[in-house]
Formats: sequence, C-alpha cells, structure tokens
Amino acid sequence: MKKITTRFGEIEYDPANIIHFPEGLVGLEDLHDFIVMPNKKKGPLFWIQCVDHPEYAFVVTDPTNFFVDYVLSPDEEERKKLGIGEEDECYVLSIVTVPPSKEITLNLAAPILFAPKTNRALQVVLENSPYDVRTPLPRLEEERR
Amino acid sequence: MLVLTRRPGEGIVIGDNITIKIIEVKGGGIRIGIDAPRETKIYRQEVYDRIRQENIEATRWDMADLDILSDDLAGRTVKK
Repeated sequence: MKKITTRFGEIEYDPANIIHFPEGLVGLEDLHDFIVMPNKKKGPLFWIQCVDHPEYAFVVTDPTNFFVDYVLSPDEEERKKLGIGEEDECYVLSIVTVPPSKEITLNLAAPILFAPKTNRALQVVLENSPYDVRTPLPRLEEERR
Repeated sequence: MLVLTRRPGEGIVIGDNITIKIIEVKGGGIRIGIDAPRETKIYRQEVYDRIRQENIEATRWDMADLDILSDDLAGRTVKK
C-alpha cells in the first residue's frame, strides 16, 4: 500500500489499482495515474484521485445514467493507446463539473474511455459532436418521458 | 514565436514527421492540410482551450458537494 496526502486528507491505495492515463488529461498532460475512490453515498457519482499530483481529483459518472443514447467506442488508434483489442470491454465516463450553483454539468464533449483489461484510460475529444463540455443534466420531466 | 509567410500550395515541415500545407485562402479563412503520425493529437485551439478550462474547472469541488449531490441524484438513474 502507498500513501498520499490530498486535499481530502491522507489516502492509502494499492498501486495495483492505478488507472493509467498515458496521455494525461487535455490541458493537464502531467496527470497520469489515478485511483478510483469509492463514494460513501449511493448514487451515480464517484471520484478519481490523481496519485502523481495529489491536489487533483475529479468527480466522474457513467453518462448513460442520464443520457441513454450517449454511446461511443474507441477507434483503432484509441484501442492501441488503451492496449486493447476490438473485442475487449471499454467503458465511457464523463467528468462532472460542480459550479457554485451546484447545478452540475457533464463534459460530454471530452469523455474518458476506460479499458478495465489494461487499467488504462484516455480523455478523447469529440470534434464536430453535438455535445457540449458543459451539458446540464436532463430535467426530470424530460427523463420520465 | 516563429512567424513565416507562406502562399497557397506552400508548406512547413516540423520535425521529422509533421508537414503543414496551406491549401487555400478564401474569404478570411485559411484551409490548412496537416500530415502527422496518427497518434499525434491535433486540436483546434479553441476546442483545446475550452476542454482544458473545463478540466480545470472540474477540479474545483469538495467532499460536501459530492455528498449533497449524491443524495440529490440517488435513484435518478435511467433504467437501462
């Protein structure tokens, strides 16, 4: 086990559980290694804590919890970076922004692809996509339809 | 910053494997062709800036936010 001091206090983690972003995040290219932190509360949100730069942590969620049609799969180049084949599993996660209003938004324009087989992840940019970096959650009424 | 003047059809070679070519100049816009290895990440500047900014914005939260939001969103997942 290893220990880091984050802004949420001391965190102990098993290096075997590290998720590696070979390219870092967009604009934050130094952030390579993260661990998934269990959320104490139930619900769709969890968070990932950066290990190499412990001051960074992100809230993430499975976007299909809110946007059922949001489906994407890695292309050949992305699979190569993730170290997986066409038949291997790949999950999509969205980074959540919590603005002062607490009306959270999902970054659907730059999702994270995560390959459980290799524990590698990439933040990809969906150019020319209809999705915004700050997509609000659908209203409850819309969701029920 | 290195500043060069190029005409349509002319290009710039960067390093060993990146070539940028001016395709045409039309109505205030410049069409550029880029040859680079597939793994090279190429973004429009404003797209890159926006995502970078949002990533930084997304690091500003605290544990109380997560607790409250989790309570609010509990049960608010679409049935798949």
